[in-house]
Amino acid sequence: MKNFLIYTAKILVITILTAIVLDALYTYVFLQSANRGKIETVFNSKAQKLDVVILGSSRANNHFVSQMFEDKGLKTFNYGMSGGHLFEASLMLKLMIERKYEIKNVIVEADLNLSNDHEAEGIAAKFLPYIHNSTVIKNHFSSQENFNEFYYIPFYRYIKYDSKIGFRETFFTLVHKKTNALDNLGYYPLEKHKNGNMKNNIAKLKPLKHNKYYEEIKNLCKANHINLIAIMTPMCENVVGMNYFDKVKKAYPEIYNYENVVIENKYFASCGHMTDEGARMFTARIIKDFFKK
Amino acid sequence: MFFNSIAFAIFLPIVFFLYWFVFNKTKRTQNALLIIASYYFYSCWDWRFLFLLVFSTFLDYYTGIQIEKGKSEKSRKFWFWLSILVNLGFLGIFKYYNFFAASFADLLNSVGVQASPILLNVILPVGISFYTFHGLSYVIDIYFKRIKAEYNFVDYSLFVSYFPLLVAGPIERATHLLPEIKVKREFDLEKAKEGIYQIVWGLVKKVIIADTCATYANAIFDHYTSMNSFSLILGAIYFAFQIYGDFSGYSDIALGVSKLFGLDLLRNFNYPYFSRDIAEFWRRWHISLSSWFRDYLYIPLGGSKGGIWMKIRNTFIIFVVSGFWHGANWTYLAWGFINAVYFLPLLLSNSNRNNMDAIVLKFDFNSAKVVMSIFYTFFLTCVAWVFFRAKTISDAFLYLKRVITNHDFSFQYLDNERYSYELLVMIGVFVLIEWNNRNKIEPLSGKRSLLKLSLAILAIMAFGTFSDYKEFIYFQF
Repeated sequence: MKNFLIYTAKILVITILTAIVLDALYTYVFLQSANRGKIETVFNSKAQKLDVVILGSSRANNHFVSQMFEDKGLKTFNYGMSGGHLFEASLMLKLMIERKYEIKNVIVEADLNLSNDHEAEGIAAKFLPYIHNSTVIKNHFSSQENFNEFYYIPFYRYIKYDSKIGFRETFFTLVHKKTNALDNLGYYPLEKHKNGNMKNNIAKLKPLKHNKYYEEIKNLCKANHINLIAIMTPMCENVVGMNYFDKVKKAYPEIYNYENVVIENKYFASCGHMTDEGARMFTARIIKDFFKK
Repeated sequence: MFFNSIAFAIFLPIVFFLYWFVFNKTKRTQNALLIIASYYFYSCWDWRFLFLLVFSTFLDYYTGIQIEKGKSEKSRKFWFWLSILVNLGFLGIFKYYNFFAASFADLLNSVGVQASPILLNVILPVGISFYTFHGLSYVIDIYFKRIKAEYNFVDYSLFVSYFPLLVAGPIERATHLLPEIKVKREFDLEKAKEGIYQIVWGLVKKVIIADTCATYANAIFDHYTSMNSFSLILGAIYFAFQIYGDFSGYSDIALGVSKLFGLDLLRNFNYPYFSRDIAEFWRRWHISLSSWFRDYLYIPLGGSKGGIWMKIRNTFIIFVVSGFWHGANWTYLAWGFINAVYFLPLLLSNSNRNNMDAIVLKFDFNSAKVVMSIFYTFFLTCVAWVFFRAKTISDAFLYLKRVITNHDFSFQYLDNERYSYELLVMIGVFVLIEWNNRNKIEPLSGKRSLLKLSLAILAIMAFGTFSDYKEFIYFQF
């Protein structure tokens, strides 16, 4: 029995050592990442000047055409992330500030995502490789339920989110395989397709009265002298519970309601996402209203 | 509590420690601890069904004794049929009632008689198909005087509800497991090490092969109408490896865990995808179920001793019942039927026991034929798996029809955000490892075992699928 206990102890040590080595290896690879995604790019970037930074979910990513801002002489990047919540948007802004970005304007898409203040696991996972290399990321996750596991158990975060930051992603990062996340200055244009879901029911959705991460973004902008433009972006015609946007306006009067700027279904790829044509109409209006010189 | 869960990783060492350090005085204390651990393990699924398990155990224990004690044949028959009917009755109610009621209503509706079935709102108790078959084999063996009844209730209870085999087998025999339970177990270092190898290799199969293949197979099967021929072929292959990795992985872990407690369970898989014909496949796949049906259904029906029609009848009965054992769905029946169709020519030509020897390959024509026969058997198996995996029989036919008619063999990007071909290298490596170790129970033992074990642990951590967690498929049966 003694021999067996020694044997199992050896296996345990091997397992822990393997986890430590893999953790170090994966983290090292992610620290070199430059062309895979927005989070990795910001983390591994140096100070830069931006006139407009766009934050939010896919409804930011697909709706703000960065090039149109650039054409007006505004250095712009769209950091909207499909599936992301304000948890990640706030952290993204914190990271930029940690990297000493000089930002004049932040446009944050704040509408449906105001209804929750929890993380979007699939997106938040992409910050986790850097949890030991950034105080901002560490602090941002410190209030999360499984922070201790992510922070103290080697390789746990890579196992937990293997589909996002596991072997496959690490391998592609290592060989510098490019994604399209950074194309078009971060804007992702959508096309009209016949099977797009043109109905949406948001009747049960309620904006939180005090969304922690929206407030964080507000405070960060204030503290760093950044002009914050919070915007509700359009949805298609067939939405049940459209009074959600009135509730947002009531709870957060400073958020601009641009939900009804583009209405017709022909400008939507799905109910919550405009086509490239719709996005261009919408962006033109935003530029006209906020960046008139 | 899954074998690949954190809860089990805590549960197992605790039971192991108590078993060898606290309750190791006598066989009685060892068995008592394993019973408590087993009932706790089972109650983690659903404590309500624990009563069903205990009742089933008590029924077979009591009827077994009454059959042995029975002075007249009438009395023995009474207790025998009581046990059979109650056991199958439970199985019928929980597993098959809704299927039969709905199918009967469909039949009536199809001939113009309006009928709406009365369905039961019950969930299937985990492991019911497995522990019912444990009990049945025990009672049948006593009735036919192959074994003596067990008078020690604790020992018998452990035989039925021993936690490594409780929820998904292997289906044990009283002749095999009870004698092991009846003696005090002494710690055996080599056996315990074998147990560790088998557990780790089982995890490799489950976490790396089965769960990864599952994400691809699901993406393909769930959207088969938009998949091309190449993706559909890959879908069938991925499912073949998913179900093999899942079930044989589970069996390996069960056997390995049991070895840690000094108890050997029946081997359930013997590299089935290296079979040279379907008969050999069924000698290597889910061995404990195949042999159960052979001994308790096929042979009592007359086996292959009668005339040609009897052989055909018995073959179809055993395969269709085997399919139906897996679940109350026409797809499982179809899967069993297809396997019977595959098997029949071998039986009728008396070539079903041709490939009993180990596979040895050389650089000659015969070896090329063997390799071709292995690929051909795998192809047949994959076709049958399509029926097993599809939601309905018509889905299975449409899936296969699309394989033939689509003619597009390009790489497709799947719903799981991966390309359809991405797993082929991993499966290739897995097949090579298994091929090179096909004469062993698992590939990790032997020379440099600690190094191989370390590599397996590294592979589990680096290549395993954890975020898209899948239950063991056979838990639903």
